[in-house]
Amino acid sequence: MTHAAAIRGKARELLQTGQVECVLGYETGSRGRVRPAFIYRPEEVERLVWNQACTHNLTTYLPAKLRPTKPGQTPRHVAVVVKACDSRAINVLLAENQFTRDQVHVIGVVCDGIVEGAGFERIPESGAAPPPALQRRCQRCDDRVPLVYDTRIGEPPAEHPLAENLPGDAELDRLEAMTPAERAGFWLAQFDRCLRCYACRQACPMCNCPTCLYERDDSLWVGMGIGSSEKRTFHLGRAYHLAGRCIGCDECERVCPMNIPISLLNRKLAKEIELAFGYRAGLAPVPGPLVTVLESGEVKP
Amino acid sequence: MPVQSGGERYEPRILGFLCTWCSYTGADLAGIARLKYPSNMRAVRVPCSGRVAPELVMRAFDQGADGVLVLGCHIGECHYDNGNHRAAKRMPTLRALIEFAGLEPERLRLDWVSASEGERFARIVQEFTETVRLLGPCAWRSRAAAIPGVGLETTQAGRSMSEAGGRP
Repeated sequence: MTHAAAIRGKARELLQTGQVECVLGYETGSRGRVRPAFIYRPEEVERLVWNQACTHNLTTYLPAKLRPTKPGQTPRHVAVVVKACDSRAINVLLAENQFTRDQVHVIGVVCDGIVEGAGFERIPESGAAPPPALQRRCQRCDDRVPLVYDTRIGEPPAEHPLAENLPGDAELDRLEAMTPAERAGFWLAQFDRCLRCYACRQACPMCNCPTCLYERDDSLWVGMGIGSSEKRTFHLGRAYHLAGRCIGCDECERVCPMNIPISLLNRKLAKEIELAFGYRAGLAPVPGPLVTVLESGEVKP
Repeated sequence: MPVQSGGERYEPRILGFLCTWCSYTGADLAGIARLKYPSNMRAVRVPCSGRVAPELVMRAFDQGADGVLVLGCHIGECHYDNGNHRAAKRMPTLRALIEFAGLEPERLRLDWVSASEGERFARIVQEFTETVRLLGPCAWRSRAAAIPGVGLETTQAGRSMSEAGGRP
């Protein structure tokens, strides 16, 4: 049975038994591009697909889908298709009490990596020559089986790739080797292209504030304009808000219409948090170090 | 590389966020004791060092501060129990971030001054002023003009657009 058939079967079962009101999955759109699908009825499950272009992080939709629409409503339940990286986002969202574990049925798919261009281009069938290149985050990824799941689709690989055999983060190394002035220039040139379209924020499962600090025109501290200092504050501030929370799905970077390497900031801070606090986001549903108080043995300046 | 103009010494502009319970009182004590310390620091009284959000620090750098000093109560002495614990975790992270974005991390300093430590307050301000003086002006202020291709026209056009369509 293919992964897609297994996902459809599970989705049909969940909808028919009324365990969930909606299944968040992937479908192929009219132009052959994979896009998120919201399946509400058992007869619609044939739309669901699974292939190496299923790049979207569907956990982004969970807080809104699970929030009560009126007071006193019984808890809502949905099912969501996740990859290994996306499953870490569920842990972070659980740690932040966005919903409870029983509200979401996690269909975890053992992932072979997502290809470059997914979501934007028609992806050739697997077996096509030459095979499309994997996204860079997938080339670095040593995590193929979701950490959290109720239903697992696919068998875990016999052996995991060893971390030392995977390519390092060459872009991050290159930037860290620069002088402060070169880095300031690099980031100015990147942020200068920003349109403040907020696509990065919308795609991010962790950016779920009801009112975004960076989209308030009455803010005393952060302008909504597209001056270079405002754009820099937006990107650095957003990176800071994701410190200890970003799970590295790199959706922000994929959706950026101006190709700003946003995920570099997130990767840098994830590295710093791991160095300083020994914490990696999403491995367990516990709050990140920046929202808790110091414990004995933690670093102090 | 201190900027020399007309033989005058470069005077950095430093913004200090002082916790009202300890450091601000400590600064008062330094004044009462008539201790001398550089006048480069402009003090902002905040309820707690945990109040100093990263946006405030970045805004300060954007608006022309050459250094930002955050002073709070010693660990274990916070009026709000754990506000300074939060600052103690946030500021090193923010330092790493601004370093990655091209500022020298030494421009941001977090330290602890209790209400009885007027001398320590004066010494920290003295040290920090000298550190920032050696670093020179903050690169974030003037960088836009210095990078080819992303000159002032783009940023200023963006600014006037945002002002025209932005706030009432």
